[in-house]
Amino acid sequence: MNIHNYEKIWLVLSMLLIIGFISTVVYGATAVGIEMVNDEGGTIDSTALDEDDRFSEPRVEKVGEDEYEAYVVARQFIFEPNPIEVPANSTVTFYVTSPDVLHGFEVVGTNANAMVVPGEITELTVEVNEPKEYGILCNEYCGGGHHTMEGKLIVVPEDEFELGDSNDE
Amino acid sequence: MVPTMSGENTVREIGHDEFDPKGTLVLILVYFGVLSVMWVFMYFVEFLGNDLTVLV
Repeated sequence: MNIHNYEKIWLVLSMLLIIGFISTVVYGATAVGIEMVNDEGGTIDSTALDEDDRFSEPRVEKVGEDEYEAYVVARQFIFEPNPIEVPANSTVTFYVTSPDVLHGFEVVGTNANAMVVPGEITELTVEVNEPKEYGILCNEYCGGGHHTMEGKLIVVPEDEFELGDSNDE
Repeated sequence: MVPTMSGENTVREIGHDEFDPKGTLVLILVYFGVLSVMWVFMYFVEFLGNDLTVLV
């Protein structure tokens, strides 16, 4: 088969491009540790969130040094707790669920963005750095008040951070 | 007169390896460069730089 030299160059370059695309994604998944949000959070009875000790009282809890868990309920048309306050330079795992319909949980302007499905617990872990205020919004149409459904994620300086009253730590 | 593949109206006839579309090659190399730069920018700056990223 006679392949023109230029065609060989183009073939090689396109292979390199494909290899480049795949290796950056592999780099992101391994070296950086980027995860996809999946169903690892498990399921829950969406009609009985009150009976679940995580979601009966939506809150932020300390689970280790610089490690926090935030239990968030997204319902028509609010996020609880609001605001979600976490200390700077910590690792935060959000557990988000819904008692009513499908919602979205998007920390605006960031890669933290997931669906909130009734009956499922959406689990996502992020690292927060400097003190900053983020908006949270619902990006799945959830009813008449969808456009007003928003919350706040406030990263406060470590020395100013205190857990809510519901925590006795 | 209808031009034919080869015939009396042919000005120049070249073989397979003599046909070198340099302009196309340059265009594709430029496109390749743009694509590579855009990919690096999109992945490393826009995506990885867009904290909070979902980890672990």
